[in-house]
Amino acid sequence: MRDIWTSIRRTPYQSFSAFLILFFTLFLTLILFVSLTFLYGTLNYLETKPQVTVYFQNKTPENQIFKVRDELMSSGKVLNIKYISKNDAFNIYKQLNKDNPLLLEMVSADILPPSLEIYAKKPIYLPEIAEYLKKQGDIDEVQYEKDIIDKLLVLTNTIRMSALIFFSYLILMSIVVLTTMILFKIALKESEITLLKLIGATNFYIRKPYVLESLFLGIAASTLSFSIFSFIVLYFNQFLQSYFKGITTLSVDIFNYQLTIWPLNYIFFTIVFVSISIFGAVIASVASYIATNKYLKV
Amino acid sequence: MVDGRGTGGNRKIKMINFDKVTKKFPLGNTALSDISFEIDDNQFVFLVGQSGAGKTTILKMITQEIKPTSGSIIVDDFDVTDKNFSQKIDLRRKIGVIFQDFKVLVDKNIFENVAVSLKVIGTDQSEIKTEVKRALELVGLSKKEFVFPVQLSAGELQRVAIARAIVGNRDIIIADEPTGNLDPKTAWDIMKIFKKLEGKRTVIIATHNTDIVNSFQKRVLVLKEGKIIKDQRKGGYEL
Repeated sequence: MRDIWTSIRRTPYQSFSAFLILFFTLFLTLILFVSLTFLYGTLNYLETKPQVTVYFQNKTPENQIFKVRDELMSSGKVLNIKYISKNDAFNIYKQLNKDNPLLLEMVSADILPPSLEIYAKKPIYLPEIAEYLKKQGDIDEVQYEKDIIDKLLVLTNTIRMSALIFFSYLILMSIVVLTTMILFKIALKESEITLLKLIGATNFYIRKPYVLESLFLGIAASTLSFSIFSFIVLYFNQFLQSYFKGITTLSVDIFNYQLTIWPLNYIFFTIVFVSISIFGAVIASVASYIATNKYLKV
Repeated sequence: MVDGRGTGGNRKIKMINFDKVTKKFPLGNTALSDISFEIDDNQFVFLVGQSGAGKTTILKMITQEIKPTSGSIIVDDFDVTDKNFSQKIDLRRKIGVIFQDFKVLVDKNIFENVAVSLKVIGTDQSEIKTEVKRALELVGLSKKEFVFPVQLSAGELQRVAIARAIVGNRDIIIADEPTGNLDPKTAWDIMKIFKKLEGKRTVIIATHNTDIVNSFQKRVLVLKEGKIIKDQRKGGYEL
């Protein structure tokens, strides 16, 4: 640790530049990472909402409705189907209009159609399920928010692809800039490295101080990025609370572990901190490894 | 073909063997042309010749900084020209190198400068302390171990470089123009230190200081335009 600090003190401008580049990269990465996590969480949430509602004609017998339900369930594309009978529909209607007696008087269970609320396993199955339902007899109406789902799918795919390209560019840029910074630093020690090589030092022995210093800068930059990011998130907590109002939980699947990301919690923050620290340490180490390579060919 | 250090604890008779070695650089200039010589274990040898004669090329081939275009080189039982040679680090740990420009580490004190030669080979801290003190005593710098290079004269810096080269049981000491940057009196003081190594290590000194070579009366290999033109067992030398 003392050697790392001494090295930073002896080349303060190069070290500070490397730190700033690392900080910038890690801060953007952090924002991107958390935004994507929330996007995935929101998508997961939307996928659990009723997506296709099919209303049958009033006279449709229950066994006909159950037949359609069973066929859909056996397709493997449906997560769950909820049957809402005429009476269930009337109860829902009553609940929704409990403050308006006039509306309640006008409607009875007989005029409300039975329906099925169909939950698909993935949004991409929705058009197929809707088409299937439209071809069945005794169908009054198929409600399916095609435009919204289509736009959502296009939007999420675009965001995923843009994030991937931006993220790759960010990594490449940071490694190139960091390598150049470290090269400037190492250039001052070229004579020392040559000497060490000639007296039998291994490449690992020569690289070690540079890699350790980069590791230190990487972890310091990720800690600062995380601290500032946490501060911003907590500062806007009220806004986030109102934005996600009505959504009780958002979660993402990580290696079959359901990680809760909303409401904000310590486990999520810890995972974000560990991930960004590892990422910072890895790109800093890779950059210093590449930079030292140039001078190890004696 | 000699592969690795196969002689165990036995003393070697030949420490360095150059056999028909040629070195041509990519632009076509020939640095060494079909030279052959042997240097015995613990022998003291001067490599002399004008600038560009090939002295430094020979030293760099011994330390494996450059490879020959053709021919065979064996150093301390390592066949360094073998295509499968992969023990460059082991070989370099047997060689102490001294440069005309000293190559001391300016941000380390004298003790640390010498100790680095032992640290790279993984010597224990207690042993480093003992060995560095002994080396500094040999070169006459025992009272300056915590002084930084900037506070030392050129002669003292070269002493540091010698101390660094001799620690760590290095069998071969090679010095490229070790007195090139020194005044005559200091140069003689430095050569007296080399004299102390006589019979204990294989010492190869590249120089064109005729006074020193003539007064030492040691083996002299005279180079001219990449060829050995004279090999005198107890020689002198004239430019």
